[in-house]
Amino acid sequence: MWKLLKKYFVFNLSAGMEYRASFLIQVFGMFLNNCAFIFFWMILYKRIGGDINGYGFSDVMFLWALAALGYGLAEVFMGNSRFISSIIYKGELDVYLLQPRAILPNLVCSRMNTAGWGDVTYGIVLYFLTQSFEPHKVLMFLVFSILMAVVFTAVRIIYHSLTFFLGNAEQFAGTITEMVIMFILYPGSIFSAPSTWILHSVIPAALVAWIPAEIFASFDLKKLLVLLSADVAIIILSVVVFQAGLKKYSSGNRMGTRI
Amino acid sequence: MVLEVDGLSKTFKSRVKGSGFKGSLKNMFSPEYRSIEAVNDISFSVEEGEITAFIGPNGAGKSTTIKLITGILYPDEGRVSVLNMDPHKDRKKLAYRIGAVFGQKSQLWYHLPPSDSFDLLGSIYNLSAPEIKKRVAYLTQVFEIGPFLNQAVRKLSLGQRIRCEIAASLIHSPEILFLDEPTIGLDVVVKQRIRELITRINQDSKVTVFLTSHDTCDIEKICRRVIVINKGQMVWDGSVKQMKYSLLNKRIINVRLEEPVALNMKGVELLKEKGCSAKLEVDLTVTSMKKVMSALVTRHNISDISISTMPMDEVISSIYEGGV
Repeated sequence: MWKLLKKYFVFNLSAGMEYRASFLIQVFGMFLNNCAFIFFWMILYKRIGGDINGYGFSDVMFLWALAALGYGLAEVFMGNSRFISSIIYKGELDVYLLQPRAILPNLVCSRMNTAGWGDVTYGIVLYFLTQSFEPHKVLMFLVFSILMAVVFTAVRIIYHSLTFFLGNAEQFAGTITEMVIMFILYPGSIFSAPSTWILHSVIPAALVAWIPAEIFASFDLKKLLVLLSADVAIIILSVVVFQAGLKKYSSGNRMGTRI
Repeated sequence: MVLEVDGLSKTFKSRVKGSGFKGSLKNMFSPEYRSIEAVNDISFSVEEGEITAFIGPNGAGKSTTIKLITGILYPDEGRVSVLNMDPHKDRKKLAYRIGAVFGQKSQLWYHLPPSDSFDLLGSIYNLSAPEIKKRVAYLTQVFEIGPFLNQAVRKLSLGQRIRCEIAASLIHSPEILFLDEPTIGLDVVVKQRIRELITRINQDSKVTVFLTSHDTCDIEKICRRVIVINKGQMVWDGSVKQMKYSLLNKRIINVRLEEPVALNMKGVELLKEKGCSAKLEVDLTVTSMKKVMSALVTRHNISDISISTMPMDEVISSIYEGGV
């Protein structure tokens, strides 16, 4: 499977570069878009002075770097996950079902969103501009970013798989995943119960960013194990929901091409 | 037997919506559903190396049946065995041994040349780089796709694309090839070329072909066997020859005489008349060809005559309409 994923990566990268100008515009466009928000936070922290509920400017920048790299990796390596709903209701899952590969990895990894390269670059640059260069911290940042990419994709799979049962859950799934991204860009401590419960479960912003940020700031093995268990649970849930939905798949006869 | 289908059924649940805004509003608060029996108790088997046409009018259940056989859809009832495997339990194992082309859906990447898609598909089917190279070289030669192999798919004509689609589905040397409307939208010349290619891969590599088509020429020219399905049920299963010659006991006589035709016989219908030429339909269940011919010879001076079976199109529409 790894060999195939590597092949998909190279293949999609060459497909993206087929339109060089568009590729570069997307990458730099995303980079610049992210930079604009950092100025907002800089101004805010300058005005407030100090921190927001225990989050200093550097902590918020870590959230931004983690979110950018995690999201970017998800878009670059598992870019088809955002299209699962449309693939289901347009009946385009047929192609994947006819191939001798595990459906989910084959499905999500078969497309790359080139704009994701902008997020990846931005996440790395922002980390090295605002965070520690210590090797163990850099390693932790990379591991948490990869974890975020996988868990974020699993969340997408869960919500988009509802299309199997509801007919079309594209907008709902899009809203939820956008909310995950939106919440993780703010300090987790500013939210209080019962919203914290929601942000630990239905919209798992805490799992993808806040808890990793806490562990990054001060390492806690127990917390790390709890986080990993929760991540594994989400990944398993995504597989279970998708497989259950597959039995309800009704295909379709709409014309389609692979892009 | 490479393919066995026994008592296969599939029902889809569909929402019924009244027309206009009022209908949409009603549908939102109290939705009504109706069941559509897409496939209803279908049974047949296919032998190795056969080219079988699976035909029926739009919405008859052809594509659904292919999707049930290839493991894309789960059946509600019945059993499917392809190469002695269950398409769901052994989906991955089976995928290595079957190929499929859905005329309406592409497995080629739109922005990249077919050569890149072949390369990736080869990796999906676990072929090594030299194996992929050898296979692509063979398919390029058979399907004559060399001139546009490195051209982006979006720049190919439909005929070129379909040739590449079929070649792509053969990259892993499958034993059974499922073709769902492979000649849809193609011009006469390209259709003929596709038919020749299908026949060639069947003869050269002994690939069993199971195809659906609306084009009666596809069926007449390349298939020996035909299964007709209508409203989810099988209405005919037999050889193409048998269908044409025995199913409808009617023959068409095109005759040119030295005088206008004057033949009033039971079982003979005058379909068309123009001057001294006439087109007659003879119903062999009512009269015999011998009687009609002797009547014609006695009453007229014949300049030219030809006898043919019913055109395939008419045979098939009669089956669809329940005329047989």
